[in-house]
Amino acid sequence: MLIPPPAHAQEQPAAPKEGAVAETKEDAAEERAAQFVGVRGPEAESVPGGALMLGAYAIVWALLFLYLMRMRGLQRNTAEELERLSAEIRASGGS
Amino acid sequence: MTRPDQSGSSTVWSLTSFATLALFGATLYAIFVVAPVEQQMGIVQKIFYFHVPSAYAMYIGFGVSAIGSAVYLLKRDPKWDALGVAGAEVGSLFCLIVLLTGPLWARKAWGVWWTWDPRLTTTLLAGMIFAAYLSLRSMGNAGEVEKRFAAGLALFGVIDLPLIHYSVQRWRGVHPTVITGKGGGLESEMYWALGLSFIAFTGLAVLLIWARASAERQREQTAKLRFELMHR
Repeated sequence: MLIPPPAHAQEQPAAPKEGAVAETKEDAAEERAAQFVGVRGPEAESVPGGALMLGAYAIVWALLFLYLMRMRGLQRNTAEELERLSAEIRASGGS
Repeated sequence: MTRPDQSGSSTVWSLTSFATLALFGATLYAIFVVAPVEQQMGIVQKIFYFHVPSAYAMYIGFGVSAIGSAVYLLKRDPKWDALGVAGAEVGSLFCLIVLLTGPLWARKAWGVWWTWDPRLTTTLLAGMIFAAYLSLRSMGNAGEVEKRFAAGLALFGVIDLPLIHYSVQRWRGVHPTVITGKGGGLESEMYWALGLSFIAFTGLAVLLIWARASAERQREQTAKLRFELMHR
């Protein structure tokens, strides 16, 4: 049976040798992460898969809808322009 | 969206529209009821059933744009130019769908929204080339020079399509290879859902290209009429 190595996280930090300078360094070090804790259980990371999937399908339908609306607008503008030009031609006596 | 024209082709248009709509209904049923939830990724894997066919529809759009552009450069017939515009626009729509749905899956599967994987990068490149095409064509009424330059751009852009397709086989990347022969494949119910989705997206791409090309031809004819009226 293998003997597990001692955990480094449990080791005590070395005592500061110099007064004021060492104290400043210790304050800065306290702001950073001092330990890593492993997850105990099935959930290592929780990313909402259902929400991501719904978002993806919503994007597909929304983009298709917007594109259809854009194409409808384009067709309507062309039809209106054509109608206006036809009226101008009739007014100017053309065939 | 209205029918492309009032001739006999409107029957084919209506039939294709109804068939596509019915196929989308069947596809959604197959995706959410028949196909099982993937073991490792969970429900987010269902993005795959719209993501991959969208990429395929993007190939159709950009391919049609390249064909239309090539024939336009040879014949100078406006109807081929209209097909080039329609293909580029519809291809770009599906490219946008691919580039937006992919990261949502990647966030769960890879832990990041985006990575510079060969397939992702080449897909983005294709999108940018055809976005340049559409920008060029959207600058007012495009003249002959703009049309020919845009046609050349479409032919340049289509070179990227084989790179997208074979990038997962030739270069190292993290993109899945489940349907390219190198992966473990899919379960039979998953194949059914994906197959139906492929057919539905093909129908949708054909309808959109058809309608957009028809609208572009009408727009071109209107512009021509306006020009003639102004110079009477």
